[in-house]
Amino acid sequence: MKKIPYLPFIIVLVVIVIIALAITHIKPPTSFSNGSKIQVVAAENFWGSLVSQLGGSKVQVLSVVSDPNADPHEYESNNADARAIATANYVIVNGAGYDSWANKLINASPNKQRIVLNVAKLLGKKNGDNPHFWYNPNYVNTVTKNMEQNLIHIDPVDSSYFHRQYSKLVASLSGYQNRIKTIKKRFSGAKVAATEDIFAYLAQAAGLNLISPSAFTEAVAEGNDPPTDSVVAFQQQLQSGQVKVLVYNEQTVTPLTTSIKQLAVEQNIPIVGVTETVQPPNTSFQVWMNAEIIELENALNARTLGH
Amino acid sequence: MLSSTTASSNFHWNLWLDFQNMWQYAFMQHAFETGTVVAVIAGIVGYFVVIRRLSFAAHALSHIGFAGAAGAVLININPIFGLLVFTSGGGLAIAGLGRRASSRDIQIGTVLAFMLGLGVLFINLYKGYATEAYSLLFGEILGISSSDVIITLIVGLLIIVVVAMLYRRLLFTSLDEDVAEAKGISMLTMSICFMLLIAVATSIAVQVVGVLLIFALLVTPAAVAQRLARRPSTGILISVVIAVAATWFGLFISYYLPYPVSFFITSSVFIIYLIVRVLELRPSFLA
Repeated sequence: MKKIPYLPFIIVLVVIVIIALAITHIKPPTSFSNGSKIQVVAAENFWGSLVSQLGGSKVQVLSVVSDPNADPHEYESNNADARAIATANYVIVNGAGYDSWANKLINASPNKQRIVLNVAKLLGKKNGDNPHFWYNPNYVNTVTKNMEQNLIHIDPVDSSYFHRQYSKLVASLSGYQNRIKTIKKRFSGAKVAATEDIFAYLAQAAGLNLISPSAFTEAVAEGNDPPTDSVVAFQQQLQSGQVKVLVYNEQTVTPLTTSIKQLAVEQNIPIVGVTETVQPPNTSFQVWMNAEIIELENALNARTLGH
Repeated sequence: MLSSTTASSNFHWNLWLDFQNMWQYAFMQHAFETGTVVAVIAGIVGYFVVIRRLSFAAHALSHIGFAGAAGAVLININPIFGLLVFTSGGGLAIAGLGRRASSRDIQIGTVLAFMLGLGVLFINLYKGYATEAYSLLFGEILGISSSDVIITLIVGLLIIVVVAMLYRRLLFTSLDEDVAEAKGISMLTMSICFMLLIAVATSIAVQVVGVLLIFALLVTPAAVAQRLARRPSTGILISVVIAVAATWFGLFISYYLPYPVSFFITSSVFIIYLIVRVLELRPSFLA
């Protein structure tokens, strides 16, 4: 048998390809110059909506995850999104494992001039913490303040514009945030349940007592099977009549959450649907939040009046 | 569109220009570099997988690797190290299980199912999101960092050197076990060496196409090559060319269409396989 004549050839091929790729390496023009818009990529449309309201006419925002029918926990990246992240001036990711694909895309396209806002890091959260930060009004305020500072850092010439935009946004956000305070005044301590831990921060802000087993809500959020005892405990809570409202995540639906919802219907427990991302995608963050909180308020009212 | 200020993302018939556009992006360079190395390795190692009839073992190793990668994610290290450790361990176990490849299916299947279960447990224990698991199962070639490229390149070159050194013995034991053994080549040693080669090749291939789709690069190109060429060296070359062409074609298409790269890679391999099978059928039809 002869010695293989092709192996050296293959090694050479690999080397050539890599050299060729290295030579053609041209840095994409990402630096921001005055007059052009700041290119912003938000991993999800809730952060995208906020930064686009802050940046106004000075920014162009792409929100990667915005499909109302898809579970944001299960997004798979495509080439156009990877390109957008590679060339952006400003990237906003939620972090805490919610959008690890975004971090991978960022690391695959190193760019020293690009500013990355990792919301979880800003809030001092780590992987494993409840990542639905946008449902916490205090976190939202911290993040918008930071976004304003980042935009000014990228484009200092327009700092007074960003200041004005920020004041407008704060005023606009106060609508839904005041409504949360109203709920807290009227229904503080009311027992509620949720199919997913998306509602945990809002329940806390509104002074509601979220009694559904956290083992269940966390497992659903992380795409795992909840432990059996947590399912049993959840069902018993719904049957015992102590739950005033069931909050149902419409974007993270499993056969199990559907059966929980069905049980709540049978028990005449009002159901409030909430979503991970801004719905419908063309509305603003605060309009979407406000609509969900009105629905929650109505459900709490209905239960109180009905009994 | 966001990319209006940068390179054009429209297709031109000038392919050189298209490639230059793509390679402006670091992530596309990383994808092409890693994809090429992985395809070359998969083409070479895959050829031996096919002639040794070990495709089920190769499939099993990728699933064993899934458990390793999930474990690595759990303890917060680079998944490729978890992949290497688990696939190598799995490869040794499979090599030690039985002397003849054909009698191993049941043992391999048993280990495979257990390892997948272990992977599910690790994903469950991991306090994060199932997206990590998706990228392991289906690959995330657009998210490869420059350090991943270097690891892949080093591992890839290592595999080529080892295959070149073992080439004749590997081929001999693959084609005729009994004669090879009579000539004094240790079957167990060759079996262990080869399973380790598959293990390492699988580990780096997972980044490109993921655990579930690894057959596309490891088995299909080699299966086509085996049908087209009688000489092993020609077969290996064809296998490598098909794997590289499919990877490049998949990456190229993915630049213009908003669907996952792994789909384009696996479907181009599949189409090549279909074409070859159809062309083979035709003479017998006419006769």
